[in-house]
Amino acid sequence: MMKRFKRGCLLLSACMAMTVVSSQAAFCQVTTMEKESDLLGVLKADSPKGDKALACKRLAIYGTAESAPELAKLLTDEQLAAWARIALEAIPGAKVDETLRKATETLKGRLLVGTINSIGVRRDAGAVEVITARLKDKDFEVASAAAVALGRIGNAPATQALRTAIASSQEGVRSAVAEGCVLCAEKALADGNATLAASIYDDVRKADVPKQRVVEATRGAILARKQAGLPLLLENLRSSDKVLFQVALQTAREMAGNEVDGALATELTKASPDRAALVIQAMADRKGTVSLPAVVKAAGAGPKEVRLSAISALGRVGDSTCVAPLIAVASEQDPELIDAALTALADLPDQTISNDILAQIPKSQGKVLSVLLAVVGKRRIEATPLLVKATSDSDKSVRAAALKALGETIPADGLAVLITQVVAPTHAEDAEVAQLALKTAAVRMPDREACAAEIVKGMEKATAATKGSILDILAAVGGTNALQAMNVAAKSDDNSLKDVSTRLLGDWLTIDAAPVLLDLAKTGPADKFQLRAMKGYIRVARQFTMNPPERAAMCKNAIEAAKQPAEQKMVLEILKRYADIEMLKIAINAVKISELKEDAVQAAQAIAAKVGTEDAQKLLKEAGIATK
Amino acid sequence: MTQKAKQIQRRNFLKSSLAVTGTAILAPTIIPSSALGRDGFVAPSERIVVGGIGIGNRGNYDLDCFLEQKDVQFVGVCDVKQSRRIAVKKKVDEKYGNVDCDMYEDFRQLLERKDVEAVLIATGPNWHATMAMQAARAGKDIYCEKPCTKNISQSLILAETIRRTARVFQAGTQRRNLPHFAFACYLARTGKLGKLKRVYAHPAGMQAMMSGWLPAETAPDKQIADWDMYLGPAAWRPFNSKTLADGFNFEKGGGLVGGGVLEWGSHCVDLCQWAVNDCPPPIEYNAPANGELMARYENGVELIFRENGWKKLGSCPVRFEGEDGWVEAGDSGKLELSSPTLLAGRSVIEIPNYPATFHVRDFLDCVRSRSQPKGNADAACNAHIACHAANIALFLNRQVKYDLAKNEFINDEAANRLRSEAIREPWRV
Repeated sequence: MMKRFKRGCLLLSACMAMTVVSSQAAFCQVTTMEKESDLLGVLKADSPKGDKALACKRLAIYGTAESAPELAKLLTDEQLAAWARIALEAIPGAKVDETLRKATETLKGRLLVGTINSIGVRRDAGAVEVITARLKDKDFEVASAAAVALGRIGNAPATQALRTAIASSQEGVRSAVAEGCVLCAEKALADGNATLAASIYDDVRKADVPKQRVVEATRGAILARKQAGLPLLLENLRSSDKVLFQVALQTAREMAGNEVDGALATELTKASPDRAALVIQAMADRKGTVSLPAVVKAAGAGPKEVRLSAISALGRVGDSTCVAPLIAVASEQDPELIDAALTALADLPDQTISNDILAQIPKSQGKVLSVLLAVVGKRRIEATPLLVKATSDSDKSVRAAALKALGETIPADGLAVLITQVVAPTHAEDAEVAQLALKTAAVRMPDREACAAEIVKGMEKATAATKGSILDILAAVGGTNALQAMNVAAKSDDNSLKDVSTRLLGDWLTIDAAPVLLDLAKTGPADKFQLRAMKGYIRVARQFTMNPPERAAMCKNAIEAAKQPAEQKMVLEILKRYADIEMLKIAINAVKISELKEDAVQAAQAIAAKVGTEDAQKLLKEAGIATK
Repeated sequence: MTQKAKQIQRRNFLKSSLAVTGTAILAPTIIPSSALGRDGFVAPSERIVVGGIGIGNRGNYDLDCFLEQKDVQFVGVCDVKQSRRIAVKKKVDEKYGNVDCDMYEDFRQLLERKDVEAVLIATGPNWHATMAMQAARAGKDIYCEKPCTKNISQSLILAETIRRTARVFQAGTQRRNLPHFAFACYLARTGKLGKLKRVYAHPAGMQAMMSGWLPAETAPDKQIADWDMYLGPAAWRPFNSKTLADGFNFEKGGGLVGGGVLEWGSHCVDLCQWAVNDCPPPIEYNAPANGELMARYENGVELIFRENGWKKLGSCPVRFEGEDGWVEAGDSGKLELSSPTLLAGRSVIEIPNYPATFHVRDFLDCVRSRSQPKGNADAACNAHIACHAANIALFLNRQVKYDLAKNEFINDEAANRLRSEAIREPWRV
């Protein structure tokens, strides 16, 4: 479908050319004629220029050929000519074509350029003779406009005129003539005349024209010749000229047929490393026909930049034949190569590759096995039994890779496996990796509450030190069960658990931690933990989204429960930030606390000023702290 | 860009994205940095030489994204406003510790420089397509802000010109290089939502109008602000300071002023186009009803321009619905999914505030590799045609049907006349 669409674009690049040939019968209704008549009335009258301009714009929709004479009068007006052409370009019919052609006889300079441009947009084949004459105009802008307009018309006489002119035209016009030639060649190609197209492109390539025109002609000459264009492609791919090398890279992506892939593969071995890296990317953009063996070979050995380019290319276009070579690269020592290879293995699009990788695991060991396990994790392949088995491997790095992969892949019903690895690791040295894996798994579980409940249950058998780590995991999971576990730990007899849990509660990310924190601040063990809980409670009041009465209630609770003036002063700051009448009342009430009196007065006055109502001032007066 | 977003280094972003969202979400054009020689210090001879045209608010943001790339050498600025030229030169010179950034009043002088390989075009939308094509014909690669075109005809010709001139073109559709939008499109494109039924785009102000003519005021000196160059391809009108200030909304729609369908559509519809695998634009566009305008692709999938009813995921929201699930994403960097199973155990990195850094990087990589960037001209062409056609249905307030092979509306003269618009002399497309 895209191909068809693109072909449509080529054939009909100037939409208005189609408008010219469209039927206007259905459109010329009585209402339209009435509109046209009104709009022409504006043009004929001594109307302000703005009115005339907007009338032209509407004539572009509602006008007919009857409007052409009146619009033509505006083509000599420097300010309204473009407005007139808006209508003239849009209105179909030979009469408008004749009007524009006629106008070129008397117009000069920019106004002539504009009219010629419009003729080009309308692809008026009848204007070729008139426009061709303008190729020799002394005004380069006029001659250039004529050249491009002929290119847009693109019929045989226009093409002939441009091909003749490319050798003879003046330097300032030659670029536009070449552009016109390229447009003619495109039209010839779209019309099925590839031989003519190639011949025109060659004219331009050989002409003394700016390099960009040569670039366009080179691309066209290669594509028009199809497979026969391969030598020209390679010639440019080998060019010492960077721009020509670049156009070859780009054109290689557009050519059909696997001969191109073979040629690129050969070229790869001859190119300098910096160019080879780029050739590989071009090869990989040819997904349907890419020469994979060549890319695989480049990935396996050679200059590092070429290898990296090839490895990343394999991630995009590789298949099952690329797995073993990539695993080999991932087993090397260079971290950048390893990273690239693992990424490519994860990215390989063919889903059957996952099965191939799983099949290799029982047969592998050591570094290769670690790589395979890492790929299982990166590709999110569910393979719990295999991974669990690998957690008993004698090689520490294999066990670590297996645990990491479990964290990335294990489903909810397998969570117990990781909990066991955390609570009772077979190898003590694996504990840290297992904890990280459990955390990775836990935070992606769809049912966080069930996940937390299972972890809490498993925690019962853990040592105190491990319980601390598990609390950290539970905090990452969040939710009611995790919060309850924190509360229990905070009230336990174990100081290390009290420490961990109050610290985690202080950083809790949801508002439901507030009552737990307040309770701990009031009744919790030891001043140190009570203070920490109070700070956490105040943080919730300050940072979290809630409705004003809730925040006011929290601030009131905090001032009452806080045992240190420093904490109470933090609450006063919250009152000021979220100033309203309720906050003002709390501040006024705090004036009664002797250590807080001065700050509370200032806070109350600041709140009242921010609220700015009579009620607020009245409350200050009643409290005897009104500002003078 | 927020500081947080700035802190996310590209390589980390790529690593994270690859790790958490899988292959298909990232560009096929991402190449290891060392393979392209842009790790660490990049020798001046290996840098991509860039010039900027129309560097106002948005342009300055884009410019920052370019300047933070080690393999870019920014050498010249062109703007119709003197104050902007001076401000950009100051910024660039301070960045490089020299006084080498040249200033141009006429962009053609910048395009004539043989050393300039690529240009950033961030003028008002009135200029985008005309200037981009002029740059392509001058042999420059182009990063062009959106909306890139003023009408259907320009969209087609722009794509053709980029192909013909063998240039690299990146539309300023930077959301294509953000992981959460990429993941949403990936789910739709790869059938993870089941058979795709509907894609939704937010037009943010669904109206189509014709451009106007404001009263004449005394024009400033040409050196201060060049009114004629500012108008460029737009038909002449007298100087007016409001028009000069409103470079963004001025004449963006060609025959029609684009409104939200084009302004936001060039982002949201562009993402919808990616979700439908960058297929050609819809073939049928209905009149708007109840805040929605429904268009239909050739394969039956519906593209719905919807004003309201979005989840609160920030500006530029899109939603894709299949038979088995849905996904919605917005500028907050967040996704909402019909089921967490769609994540397949992954998490998607959240990057809010739609930074363009990654999009600029994608463009620069393609300037070197000559591959196609995410917001390439063909993709932009399709998305813009969808927006322009919807605008035409909106303007005519009735259904229009589009023939993809002929690139014309079927038996619809009024709609066909709105596909194109003459531009002011001496400019051409």
